[in-house]
Amino acid sequence: MHLKQFLIALLLGSALAAGLFLAMKSGTPAEVRSATVLPGAGELPDFSLIDQHGEDFNANAFRGQWDLVFFGFTHCPDICPTTLQTLAEVRRALVESGDENVPRIVLVSVDPERDTPEILSRYVNYFGAGNIGVTGELEQLRQLTSGLGIYFEKVNIEDANYGVDHSAAVLVIDPDGKFVALFSAPHRVDDYLHDLPIITAKY
Amino acid sequence: MRYLLIAATLLLALAACETESLPPLVAADVIVTEPVPGHRMSAAYLSLSNNSRNAIRINRVSSPNFGAVELHESSVEDGVAKMRPVEELVIAPNSKVALQPGGLHLMLMRPNADIDEVSLNFYQDTTLLLSVDTKITRRSN
Repeated sequence: MHLKQFLIALLLGSALAAGLFLAMKSGTPAEVRSATVLPGAGELPDFSLIDQHGEDFNANAFRGQWDLVFFGFTHCPDICPTTLQTLAEVRRALVESGDENVPRIVLVSVDPERDTPEILSRYVNYFGAGNIGVTGELEQLRQLTSGLGIYFEKVNIEDANYGVDHSAAVLVIDPDGKFVALFSAPHRVDDYLHDLPIITAKY
Repeated sequence: MRYLLIAATLLLALAACETESLPPLVAADVIVTEPVPGHRMSAAYLSLSNNSRNAIRINRVSSPNFGAVELHESSVEDGVAKMRPVEELVIAPNSKVALQPGGLHLMLMRPNADIDEVSLNFYQDTTLLLSVDTKITRRSN
Protein backbone atom coordinates (compact mmCIF):
# COMPACT_ATOMS: atom_id res chain seq x y z
CA MET A 1 0.00 0.00 0.00
CA HIS A 2 1.33 3.46 -0.92
CA LEU A 3 1.78 6.03 1.80
CA LYS A 4 -1.02 8.20 0.36
CA GLN A 5 -3.49 5.30 0.37
CA PHE A 6 -2.42 4.40 3.90
CA LEU A 7 -3.00 7.96 5.13
CA ILE A 8 -6.43 8.10 3.49
CA ALA A 9 -7.35 4.76 5.08
CA LEU A 10 -6.10 6.01 8.46
CA LEU A 11 -8.12 9.22 8.10
CA LEU A 12 -11.27 7.36 7.12
CA GLY A 13 -10.79 4.88 9.98
CA SER A 14 -10.36 7.70 12.50
CA ALA A 15 -13.42 9.50 11.18
CA LEU A 16 -15.45 6.31 11.46
CA ALA A 17 -14.26 5.71 15.03
CA ALA A 18 -15.03 9.30 16.02
CA GLY A 19 -18.48 9.05 14.42
CA LEU A 20 -19.21 5.82 16.24
CA PHE A 21 -18.05 7.33 19.53
CA LEU A 22 -20.28 10.40 19.11
CA ALA A 23 -23.23 8.26 18.02
CA MET A 24 -22.85 6.08 21.11
CA LYS A 25 -22.50 9.12 23.35
CA SER A 26 -25.52 10.93 21.98
CA GLY A 27 -27.37 7.60 21.90
CA THR A 28 -27.55 7.45 25.71
CA PRO A 29 -31.04 6.07 26.33
CA ALA A 30 -33.37 8.78 27.54
CA GLU A 31 -36.17 6.45 28.57
CA VAL A 32 -36.34 4.73 31.93
CA ARG A 33 -36.88 0.97 31.77
CA SER A 34 -38.00 0.13 35.29
CA ALA A 35 -38.84 3.25 37.28
CA THR A 36 -42.17 5.04 37.08
CA VAL A 37 -41.56 8.75 36.60
CA LEU A 38 -44.43 10.82 37.91
CA PRO A 39 -45.97 13.22 35.39
CA GLY A 40 -45.60 16.06 37.90
CA ALA A 41 -43.40 16.26 40.98
CA GLY A 42 -45.41 15.54 44.11
CA GLU A 43 -45.22 17.63 47.26
CA LEU A 44 -44.50 15.69 50.43
CA PRO A 45 -47.12 15.88 53.17
CA ASP A 46 -46.36 17.59 56.48
CA PHE A 47 -45.00 15.15 59.00
CA SER A 48 -42.75 15.20 62.04
CA LEU A 49 -40.59 12.15 62.72
CA ILE A 50 -37.06 11.59 64.08
CA ASP A 51 -33.89 10.17 62.56
CA GLN A 52 -31.55 7.55 64.04
CA HIS A 53 -29.80 10.25 66.08
CA GLY A 54 -33.09 11.38 67.63
CA GLU A 55 -33.04 14.61 65.60
CA ASP A 56 -36.18 16.04 63.99
CA PHE A 57 -36.89 14.64 60.56
CA ASN A 58 -39.56 16.42 58.53
CA ALA A 59 -40.20 17.27 54.87
CA ASN A 60 -37.33 19.80 54.90
CA ALA A 61 -34.88 16.97 55.61
CA PHE A 62 -35.44 15.76 52.05
CA ARG A 63 -34.14 19.05 50.59
CA GLY A 64 -30.60 19.42 49.34
CA GLN A 65 -29.85 15.95 47.93
CA TRP A 66 -31.38 13.06 46.05
CA ASP A 67 -32.94 10.40 48.27
CA LEU A 68 -34.03 6.79 47.75
CA VAL A 69 -36.71 6.12 50.35
CA PHE A 70 -37.70 2.61 51.40
CA PHE A 71 -40.37 1.70 53.94
CA GLY A 72 -39.46 -1.39 55.96
CA PHE A 73 -38.54 -2.64 59.42
CA THR A 74 -35.50 -4.12 61.11
CA HIS A 75 -37.18 -7.38 62.21
CA CYS A 76 -37.69 -8.29 58.55
CA PRO A 77 -35.12 -10.98 57.63
CA ASP A 78 -35.53 -11.21 53.87
CA ILE A 79 -37.03 -8.42 51.76
CA CYS A 80 -35.78 -5.42 53.79
CA PRO A 81 -32.10 -6.40 54.08
CA THR A 82 -32.12 -7.60 50.46
CA THR A 83 -33.53 -4.26 49.29
CA LEU A 84 -31.12 -2.23 51.42
CA GLN A 85 -28.24 -4.34 50.13
CA THR A 86 -29.35 -3.61 46.55
CA LEU A 87 -29.57 0.13 47.26
CA ALA A 88 -26.14 0.04 48.93
CA GLU A 89 -24.69 -1.59 45.80
CA VAL A 90 -26.35 1.07 43.63
CA ARG A 91 -24.80 3.82 45.76
CA ARG A 92 -21.37 2.19 45.67
CA ALA A 93 -21.48 1.86 41.87
CA LEU A 94 -22.58 5.49 41.45
CA VAL A 95 -19.79 6.72 43.75
CA GLU A 96 -17.23 4.65 41.83
CA SER A 97 -18.46 6.03 38.50
CA GLY A 98 -18.12 9.61 39.76
CA ASP A 99 -21.84 10.36 39.51
CA GLU A 100 -22.66 13.81 40.89
CA ASN A 101 -26.12 12.83 42.11
CA VAL A 102 -25.45 9.90 44.42
CA PRO A 103 -28.64 9.55 46.47
CA ARG A 104 -28.87 8.94 50.20
CA ILE A 105 -30.63 5.80 51.36
CA VAL A 106 -33.48 6.53 53.75
CA LEU A 107 -35.21 3.69 55.60
CA VAL A 108 -38.52 4.80 57.10
CA SER A 109 -39.54 2.24 59.70
CA VAL A 110 -43.09 0.93 59.49
CA ASP A 111 -42.54 -0.66 62.89
CA PRO A 112 -41.85 2.34 65.15
CA GLU A 113 -42.93 0.26 68.16
CA ARG A 114 -39.76 -1.87 67.98
CA ASP A 115 -37.51 0.32 65.83
CA THR A 116 -36.08 2.83 68.26
CA PRO A 117 -33.48 5.33 67.00
CA GLU A 118 -30.72 3.22 68.59
CA ILE A 119 -31.85 0.03 66.84
CA LEU A 120 -32.30 1.85 63.54
CA SER A 121 -28.88 3.45 63.85
CA ARG A 122 -27.02 0.12 63.99
CA TYR A 123 -29.20 -1.28 61.25
CA VAL A 124 -28.84 1.48 58.65
CA ASN A 125 -25.12 1.96 59.38
CA TYR A 126 -24.59 -1.73 58.65
CA PHE A 127 -25.63 -1.05 55.05
CA GLY A 128 -23.29 1.92 54.65
CA ALA A 129 -22.22 5.15 56.28
CA GLY A 130 -24.48 8.10 55.55
CA ASN A 131 -27.70 6.11 55.45
CA ILE A 132 -30.68 7.55 57.30
CA GLY A 133 -33.16 5.69 59.52
CA VAL A 134 -36.47 7.35 60.34
CA THR A 135 -38.93 6.46 63.07
CA GLY A 136 -41.33 8.22 65.42
CA GLU A 137 -44.97 8.40 66.41
CA LEU A 138 -47.32 6.08 64.53
CA GLU A 139 -49.75 8.91 63.81
CA GLN A 140 -46.98 11.01 62.21
CA LEU A 141 -45.78 8.00 60.25
CA ARG A 142 -49.32 7.52 58.90
CA GLN A 143 -49.32 11.19 57.95
CA LEU A 144 -46.27 10.59 55.73
CA THR A 145 -47.24 7.20 54.30
CA SER A 146 -50.85 8.03 53.48
CA GLY A 147 -49.69 11.18 51.71
CA LEU A 148 -47.40 9.08 49.53
CA GLY A 149 -49.74 6.13 48.92
CA ILE A 150 -47.57 3.81 51.02
CA TYR A 151 -49.37 0.93 52.76
CA PHE A 152 -48.34 -0.90 55.92
CA GLU A 153 -50.16 -3.18 58.33
CA LYS A 154 -49.11 -5.36 61.25
CA VAL A 155 -49.77 -9.08 60.78
CA ASN A 156 -49.76 -12.01 63.23
CA ILE A 157 -50.03 -9.43 66.00
CA GLU A 158 -50.63 -12.09 68.67
CA ASP A 159 -47.08 -13.32 68.01
CA ALA A 160 -44.10 -11.60 69.71
CA ASN A 161 -42.34 -11.88 66.34
CA TYR A 162 -45.16 -10.14 64.51
CA GLY A 163 -44.57 -9.02 60.95
CA VAL A 164 -45.51 -5.94 58.99
CA ASP A 165 -46.81 -6.05 55.44
CA HIS A 166 -45.59 -2.96 53.63
CA SER A 167 -45.35 -1.38 50.21
CA ALA A 168 -42.23 -2.68 48.49
CA ALA A 169 -41.58 0.42 46.36
CA VAL A 170 -38.54 2.68 46.64
CA LEU A 171 -39.37 6.37 46.17
CA VAL A 172 -37.08 8.88 44.51
CA ILE A 173 -37.13 12.33 46.12
CA ASP A 174 -35.40 15.20 44.32
CA PRO A 175 -33.25 17.91 45.98
CA ASP A 176 -36.31 20.19 46.24
CA GLY A 177 -37.88 17.56 48.47
CA LYS A 178 -40.36 16.48 45.80
CA PHE A 179 -41.47 12.95 45.04
CA VAL A 180 -40.53 12.47 41.36
CA ALA A 181 -40.32 8.73 40.64
CA LEU A 182 -40.56 5.27 42.15
CA PHE A 183 -39.06 1.86 41.62
CA SER A 184 -41.35 -1.14 42.15
CA ALA A 185 -40.14 -4.56 43.33
CA PRO A 186 -38.21 -6.58 42.33
CA HIS A 187 -35.32 -4.18 42.81
CA ARG A 188 -32.32 -4.75 40.55
CA VAL A 189 -29.04 -2.84 40.70
CA ASP A 190 -28.81 -2.61 36.88
CA ASP A 191 -32.26 -1.02 36.63
CA TYR A 192 -31.28 1.69 39.12
CA LEU A 193 -27.96 2.35 37.38
CA HIS A 194 -29.79 2.65 34.07
CA ASP A 195 -32.70 4.80 35.26
CA LEU A 196 -31.34 7.05 38.02
CA PRO A 197 -29.05 9.13 35.75
CA ILE A 198 -32.02 9.70 33.42
CA ILE A 199 -34.23 10.78 36.33
CA THR A 200 -31.61 13.06 37.89
CA ALA A 201 -30.73 14.60 34.49
CA LYS A 202 -34.29 15.89 34.18
CA TYR A 203 -33.92 17.91 37.38
CA MET B 1 -21.60 -51.73 15.49
CA ARG B 2 -21.24 -54.40 18.20
CA TYR B 3 -18.61 -52.31 20.01
CA LEU B 4 -20.89 -49.30 19.78
CA LEU B 5 -23.70 -51.27 21.44
CA ILE B 6 -21.38 -52.47 24.20
CA ALA B 7 -20.13 -48.93 24.81
CA ALA B 8 -23.71 -47.58 24.92
CA THR B 9 -24.75 -50.31 27.37
CA LEU B 10 -21.78 -49.54 29.59
CA LEU B 11 -22.57 -45.83 29.52
CA LEU B 12 -26.19 -46.49 30.44
CA ALA B 13 -25.13 -48.75 33.29
CA LEU B 14 -22.73 -46.07 34.52
CA ALA B 15 -25.46 -43.43 34.35
CA ALA B 16 -27.79 -45.71 36.31
CA CYS B 17 -25.11 -46.23 38.98
CA GLU B 18 -24.63 -42.47 39.23
CA THR B 19 -28.35 -41.90 39.83
CA GLU B 20 -28.55 -44.72 42.34
CA SER B 21 -25.59 -43.41 44.31
CA LEU B 22 -27.02 -39.90 44.81
CA PRO B 23 -28.44 -39.31 48.29
CA PRO B 24 -32.20 -38.67 48.23
CA LEU B 25 -31.97 -35.07 49.48
CA VAL B 26 -29.07 -32.82 48.48
CA ALA B 27 -28.50 -29.16 49.39
CA ALA B 28 -26.54 -26.69 47.24
CA ASP B 29 -25.82 -22.95 47.08
CA VAL B 30 -26.24 -22.57 50.84
CA ILE B 31 -26.08 -18.99 52.10
CA VAL B 32 -26.69 -17.95 55.70
CA THR B 33 -26.63 -14.17 55.99
CA GLU B 34 -24.87 -12.58 58.92
CA PRO B 35 -27.31 -11.21 61.50
CA VAL B 36 -27.10 -7.40 61.48
CA PRO B 37 -25.13 -6.49 64.65
CA GLY B 38 -27.51 -6.06 67.55
CA HIS B 39 -30.32 -7.80 65.69
CA ARG B 40 -31.71 -11.17 66.54
CA MET B 41 -32.54 -12.60 63.15
CA SER B 42 -31.14 -13.65 59.86
CA ALA B 43 -32.07 -15.70 56.80
CA ALA B 44 -30.81 -18.81 55.05
CA TYR B 45 -31.09 -19.56 51.34
CA LEU B 46 -30.29 -22.79 49.51
CA SER B 47 -31.55 -25.18 46.89
CA LEU B 48 -32.83 -28.63 47.84
CA SER B 49 -32.84 -31.46 45.29
CA ASN B 50 -34.95 -34.55 45.70
CA ASN B 51 -33.17 -37.36 43.83
CA SER B 52 -35.58 -40.05 44.96
CA ARG B 53 -38.75 -41.45 43.41
CA ASN B 54 -40.87 -40.23 46.32
CA ALA B 55 -41.93 -36.77 47.43
CA ILE B 56 -39.89 -35.41 50.35
CA ARG B 57 -41.66 -33.40 53.02
CA ILE B 58 -39.81 -31.01 55.31
CA ASN B 59 -41.84 -29.68 58.20
CA ARG B 60 -39.17 -28.82 60.76
CA VAL B 61 -35.75 -27.20 60.56
CA SER B 62 -33.48 -26.64 63.52
CA SER B 63 -30.02 -25.25 64.16
CA PRO B 64 -27.80 -25.50 67.23
CA ASN B 65 -26.67 -21.93 66.41
CA PHE B 66 -30.12 -20.31 66.56
CA GLY B 67 -32.93 -20.37 69.13
CA ALA B 68 -35.54 -21.00 66.44
CA VAL B 69 -35.75 -21.66 62.72
CA GLU B 70 -38.92 -21.17 60.69
CA LEU B 71 -39.70 -21.80 57.06
CA HIS B 72 -41.15 -18.63 55.53
CA GLU B 73 -42.19 -17.31 52.18
CA SER B 74 -41.87 -13.68 51.10
CA SER B 75 -43.91 -12.34 48.25
CA VAL B 76 -44.88 -9.05 46.71
CA GLU B 77 -48.59 -8.89 45.94
CA ASP B 78 -50.01 -5.74 44.34
CA GLY B 79 -46.87 -3.89 45.34
CA VAL B 80 -47.07 -5.01 48.99
CA ALA B 81 -44.25 -7.07 50.52
CA LYS B 82 -45.52 -9.90 52.71
CA MET B 83 -43.94 -12.71 54.67
CA ARG B 84 -45.85 -15.75 55.87
CA PRO B 85 -44.87 -18.98 57.65
CA VAL B 86 -44.92 -22.15 55.56
CA GLU B 87 -45.99 -25.29 57.44
CA GLU B 88 -44.45 -27.82 55.11
CA LEU B 89 -42.12 -27.83 52.15
CA VAL B 90 -42.90 -30.59 49.67
CA ILE B 91 -40.26 -31.45 47.08
CA ALA B 92 -41.63 -33.58 44.25
CA PRO B 93 -39.68 -36.65 43.07
CA ASN B 94 -36.63 -35.81 40.97
CA SER B 95 -37.09 -32.08 41.32
CA LYS B 96 -35.49 -29.10 42.98
CA VAL B 97 -36.83 -26.28 45.16
CA ALA B 98 -34.90 -23.01 45.51
CA LEU B 99 -35.05 -20.99 48.70
CA GLN B 100 -33.95 -17.52 47.60
CA PRO B 101 -34.25 -13.82 48.51
CA GLY B 102 -37.78 -12.55 48.02
CA GLY B 103 -39.27 -16.06 48.07
CA LEU B 104 -39.03 -19.17 50.22
CA HIS B 105 -36.37 -18.85 52.92
CA LEU B 106 -35.46 -19.97 56.40
CA MET B 107 -35.91 -17.31 59.06
CA LEU B 108 -33.25 -17.81 61.73
CA MET B 109 -34.03 -16.26 65.11
CA ARG B 110 -32.11 -15.62 68.32
CA PRO B 111 -28.55 -16.34 67.16
CA ASN B 112 -25.89 -17.57 69.58
CA ALA B 113 -23.17 -15.03 70.24
CA ASP B 114 -20.34 -14.76 67.68
CA ILE B 115 -21.47 -17.41 65.24
CA ASP B 116 -19.21 -18.15 62.32
CA GLU B 117 -20.30 -21.62 61.22
CA VAL B 118 -23.90 -22.74 61.08
CA SER B 119 -25.51 -26.18 61.01
CA LEU B 120 -29.00 -26.63 59.63
CA ASN B 121 -30.99 -29.83 60.25
CA PHE B 122 -33.97 -30.66 58.06
CA TYR B 123 -36.64 -33.02 59.39
CA GLN B 124 -39.86 -34.70 58.44
CA ASP B 125 -41.51 -34.82 61.86
CA THR B 126 -38.79 -36.47 63.98
CA THR B 127 -36.82 -38.06 61.12
CA LEU B 128 -33.63 -36.22 60.27
CA LEU B 129 -33.44 -35.96 56.47
CA LEU B 130 -30.38 -33.82 55.97
CA SER B 131 -27.74 -31.84 57.86
CA VAL B 132 -25.93 -28.94 56.24
CA ASP B 133 -22.90 -27.06 57.58
CA THR B 134 -21.82 -23.72 56.20
CA LYS B 135 -20.01 -20.54 57.12
CA ILE B 136 -21.92 -17.30 57.69
CA THR B 137 -21.91 -14.98 54.67
CA ARG B 138 -20.77 -11.51 55.72
CA ARG B 139 -22.21 -8.59 53.83
CA SER B 140 -19.56 -6.38 52.26
CA ASN B 141 -20.67 -2.80 52.70
